[in-house]
Amino acid sequence: MTSSKKRGCLGCSFPVLIITVIIVLGIVIVGFLSGPIGQGILERLGIHITFPSWLVSGKPAIHLAAPEIFNIFGLSITNTILAGWITAIFLVLGSWLITRRMKLVPGRLQSVFEFLLGWIYDLCESVAGKENGRKFFPVVCTIILFVGFNAWLSLVPGFGSILVNAHGSEHELLRGANTDLNTPLALAIVSFFFVAFYGLKSLGVGWLKQYFNFGPFFKSIGRMFKGKFNVMDIFSGVINAFVGGLEFLSMLIRLISFTFRLFGNMTAGEILVLVGAFLMPMAVNWIIYGFEALVGLVQALVFGILTLVFATMAVTSHETESH
Amino acid sequence: MDPESMKMLAIGLVMGLGALGPGLGIGILGYGAMQGLARNPEARGPIFTNMLLAIAMAEAIAIYALVVAILLGFIF
Repeated sequence: MTSSKKRGCLGCSFPVLIITVIIVLGIVIVGFLSGPIGQGILERLGIHITFPSWLVSGKPAIHLAAPEIFNIFGLSITNTILAGWITAIFLVLGSWLITRRMKLVPGRLQSVFEFLLGWIYDLCESVAGKENGRKFFPVVCTIILFVGFNAWLSLVPGFGSILVNAHGSEHELLRGANTDLNTPLALAIVSFFFVAFYGLKSLGVGWLKQYFNFGPFFKSIGRMFKGKFNVMDIFSGVINAFVGGLEFLSMLIRLISFTFRLFGNMTAGEILVLVGAFLMPMAVNWIIYGFEALVGLVQALVFGILTLVFATMAVTSHETESH
Repeated sequence: MDPESMKMLAIGLVMGLGALGPGLGIGILGYGAMQGLARNPEARGPIFTNMLLAIAMAEAIAIYALVVAILLGFIF
């Protein structure tokens, strides 16, 4: 604040800043006092204030299973599926609109998306190398964009507040797709088959040999019939088969861990927002929203990068690593 | 102790004890990343990406505890 022109803080002059701070503080304090914690404190002090009903939110009702909204020929369409469709339509329409008229000198929207995709592409290349990065980019980028936009879409105010009457009770029309266990499971299965496809394509049967490694064991048994009895050979064969079984088990566990990581993070975020709105309406959700935006981005990145890392591990064989 | 309070105790213990290990793990990871960053500030990008990955791995364990706690709290 050396020059007299630039007085003020955070880009506004002092009176505006002070008024803003007072308004924000007022909202926070009123919100805090209207929640259950503030009510408890007020009751201890012997003060009774009745707050307007729109300020007091009810106890959060948390459903883990997504309720069915309507069904098409016996296929039940839940609210999470609807949100997933909206995300997909949004992404497809968005990319169509942006790539429809591409220019050499990009406009604003195009440059934003070029930056985003370029960043993900660089990430793919830095993890998987030049050739494989180009191959893995489409699937990884789709996963990152879908999960990320889905998480951010469910943070849009009003997203979860449209209620519809279905099967005699009221439900939200839309809910973040990854708060249903089925969507993360589907994504994890997609990533699993993606890894298996590239593993089989680049290493052939050698990829399966990591998991079903019975070759040395049978060879040692065969040698036993030829008269060369060697206990250590049989023992190492058994150990090899066992290690392969462990690898197979870890692959299945990876599927579960992919699923529950995404599901748990998204569900926890939603419950955190609900509980924040219940305990201190209007007071803490400002911070929680910022945190949830970060969590959505990080989870999308983690899902994509882990898929990328496992795919890279699958295409580089173990033999070439050790020798 | 009646079943209801036992359930509440179980939920609290699941989440609290389940967050203990991953908390330590994330702390150690952050420590390692900071040290790496202080020794080699140019490697900021790769260190940050790998740190996020490893933190997500550690965090997943807390998330399992959270899923169990949610199941105990809202389903059973």
